[in-house]
Amino acid sequence: MTTVPSSNNSPAQWWKQNRKAILPPIFGIGGFLLFWQLSSSLGLTKLAGPLSLWSDERTRELLLYPFFDNGGLDKGLFHHSMSSLSLVAIGYSLAAVIGIAVGLNKGLNRAFDPLFQFLRMVAPLAWVPIALVMFQQNQPAAIFVIFITSIWPILINTAEGVRQIPQDYRNVALVLQMSNRRFFSKILIPSTLPYIFTGLRISIDLAWLAIIAAEIVMPGTPGIGYFIWDANQNGYVSEIVLGVIWIGAIGLILDRLMSWLQTRIANGR
Amino acid sequence: MTTLVNVQDVAKNFPLTGGGNYLALNGIDLDIRKGEFISLIGHSGCGKSTLLNMIAGLDLPTVGAVLLEGETVKRPGPDKMVVFQNYSLLPWLTVRENIALAVDEVMPDLNRRDRDAVVEEHIAMVGLTHAADKPPLQLSGGMRQRVAIARALAIKPKLLLLDEPFGALDALTRGNLQEKLMQICNEHELTAVMVTHDVDEAVLLSDRIVMLSNGPGSKIGGILEVDIPRPRQRLEVVHHPSYYSLRSEIIYFLNRQKRVKQWQAKPHKVLVAHGLEKVNLDLGFIPLSACAPLAIAEAKGFFAKHGLDEVQLVRETSWRGVADGFVDQTLDAALMPSGMPTWMTAGGHDGHPLPIVTALTISRNGNEVTLARRLSEAGVHSVEDYRNWLQSHNREPHTLGIVHPASMHNLLLRYWLAASGIDPDKDVHLQALPPAQMLADLKDGSIDGYCCGEPWNLRAWRDGHGVPIAGDLDIWNGHPGKVLGVREDWALAYPNTHIALTKALLEACQFCSQPQNWPEMADLLSDRRYLGIKPELIHFSTGSKVAEGSHGPMTSSEQGEPHHLFFGAGVNRPSRSEHLWILTQLARWAEIPFPRNYVEILERICAVSAYSTAARELGLDDVSYQRGGIELFDGVPFNADDPIGYLNQLSIHQNFSVAEIPIGVPRALAV
Repeated sequence: MTTVPSSNNSPAQWWKQNRKAILPPIFGIGGFLLFWQLSSSLGLTKLAGPLSLWSDERTRELLLYPFFDNGGLDKGLFHHSMSSLSLVAIGYSLAAVIGIAVGLNKGLNRAFDPLFQFLRMVAPLAWVPIALVMFQQNQPAAIFVIFITSIWPILINTAEGVRQIPQDYRNVALVLQMSNRRFFSKILIPSTLPYIFTGLRISIDLAWLAIIAAEIVMPGTPGIGYFIWDANQNGYVSEIVLGVIWIGAIGLILDRLMSWLQTRIANGR
Repeated sequence: MTTLVNVQDVAKNFPLTGGGNYLALNGIDLDIRKGEFISLIGHSGCGKSTLLNMIAGLDLPTVGAVLLEGETVKRPGPDKMVVFQNYSLLPWLTVRENIALAVDEVMPDLNRRDRDAVVEEHIAMVGLTHAADKPPLQLSGGMRQRVAIARALAIKPKLLLLDEPFGALDALTRGNLQEKLMQICNEHELTAVMVTHDVDEAVLLSDRIVMLSNGPGSKIGGILEVDIPRPRQRLEVVHHPSYYSLRSEIIYFLNRQKRVKQWQAKPHKVLVAHGLEKVNLDLGFIPLSACAPLAIAEAKGFFAKHGLDEVQLVRETSWRGVADGFVDQTLDAALMPSGMPTWMTAGGHDGHPLPIVTALTISRNGNEVTLARRLSEAGVHSVEDYRNWLQSHNREPHTLGIVHPASMHNLLLRYWLAASGIDPDKDVHLQALPPAQMLADLKDGSIDGYCCGEPWNLRAWRDGHGVPIAGDLDIWNGHPGKVLGVREDWALAYPNTHIALTKALLEACQFCSQPQNWPEMADLLSDRRYLGIKPELIHFSTGSKVAEGSHGPMTSSEQGEPHHLFFGAGVNRPSRSEHLWILTQLARWAEIPFPRNYVEILERICAVSAYSTAARELGLDDVSYQRGGIELFDGVPFNADDPIGYLNQLSIHQNFSVAEIPIGVPRALAV
């Protein structure tokens, strides 16, 4: 590791080095928020401005107390998010396990590939009625929608990873006369790992997108999607804005989390 | 030594995507002995990696079989471990883990301590202990290849297969790794097969070098034994006398393959025009002052004047290339040393008699014997001095360079040595070298001298590496130097073309014989297409050295005498008695047996009628009379009626034999 010269540690130096990375986003976001606020204050749009999140009493309450739980569907944002996330966790985990398992299996993959190619083109929302018919209940249906939306990138990337194992590695296995089981654990899995993680990262984004869609269409399930739906029904525009920002934030956190995991685990190649 | 691997009549077909097959290898037979290091060398696409893969079992032959210790190789296995060109290390494992993985696979019964010991031993063997815990991506290419070698050796294979192991490395790393590999191979008596395209690497590492010809249907074009003793040092092998001849042998082979490939890539139609059977000719030559008539005939339009519209001059680097060009018919005609028609006709080239005819002697004289300056400084100024010097330095090897066994240089040098009591086969070693190589060898002292055509003698003298000791004017003034040669079947198929070619060159010879044209010829020959040296170095007379006020020892008694005779009374007509003298000399040194049917052979070699027709049509009847008898400097007369008696009369000679040489009936090339 190289050591940083101590002279670079002074705040002025630091600012000089990093201002190009910091200033433009601040100006960009600030400008955007200003434009938004102005256009809503001037009445150009009925959409509440960003300041309304604080000026509106309902949203201020929600922001200040995310942990309240009055029973039923009247909960804080934290609880809504947790219930959404737990659905995502279940659906996504199922998708990961089945997607990787099928993707690693060449025969299975070859047999079902045309079907997979067809199914992955179906939009998440289109699955909702089918899921409801299949499961008759909101919760399992929502999980299914997440599962079916997020499985494809995992599956297809894993399969691609298997296809892309360099002939060199296969030759090494051939020359050493490795058993199939050893080949699987010693070469196939480590070699496809980066592909699997690419799939996992794309899938987590899709899964999060799908849950909102599923919850909005399937009312009665607590979750961040329901929260927006409810606000919409009641005409609380600033609540909708809050919900949207909340969703974006969580999605971003999930994505960063996977990205971090990806660089950690797939490191060394 | 016992045989470890037999490659038996192996052929390999690859199905092509558009249907059909590509025959990569055909009829490969190779036995690899235990403990031997073999290199496979050839141009890309010649199937050398395919052959290696078949030995490894990664690929199966279409025809034939590969046996390892008598058992057919059907699948890859750790007993024939491969070191791949791109290392094939697993990037998610450290160096130690990579090697351990292989050991675990191949020796699962080893207990943990023994296993670790094996791994550590091999990491240490390639000197990577300090990097054992690093992943391969943090290592340089050379270090990665060392890991791959350690991995291969750790599982104790019977056979180590290396596929261009050092191809991607820089020169310094490559050199170090080559020495490391050699050392390991010596210590562990490994049997190894290596694919390479690096000539020096092949010579340095191998016991035998297998040269593969071009595909499709690549064959083994030759196997070279490397007789350099082990252990070898990279910087020392270059001084071994065999090194450069092996090296040039391989380079010759590779160049030859390239030439044939280029030739095959062009369309080859026989163009008929002007009443000639073929007007597009490939005319071979090697860069020497004596190639002047060919260059002049092209530059002055003599070829076109006689109807040969498309004559291509093909520069070969050695006379051997010319001979091979006749065998595989990539050449129509060539400038050749005067001994070559008899030598090839009598089966000197690979033992297969190939009748060659000559209708024109293009040059006479122009050769010289040059000895290294260090000999001159040691007081060697004459052949007698050299004989005494050989006697007093008889423990060192004494090599003299010649351009080709069938060239006049060889025959004159041998005659000159033998007449002075030096046996050219016992007292010295004569080696065929390309002229440019001779100069380099003279410089680094690996040869004592050479007999060669100009400009190589003048150049050695100018550069200060050599001193001329005897000119051909002192040995046999007026000896035939270079002749025009064509295949006999070619001459019969294209008789009018043959005459036209003879006319064009005879006219060019006439031009070249005139002193006022010499500066122009020197300018022309200095072009890169021919000699590619300064025009000042190209001379056609002996007088010019003196004219420049130089102090070099004169080699000729007559100053200003033309060094090359290109034209004149009796110069150009092919002479049976001269070719008979050549036959006696070739037999004397056991290059060929003396042919019992020599009268028939001479009759067929000397196309006197083609010459006569050409000369008559040029209006040059007066130059075609026969020269007088042959007598060399020692005064032993040559009796053309009793060649065998003449041979026996010469004191030093090899055990020559007399035999009937079957050359068949004259037959024209199928057109």
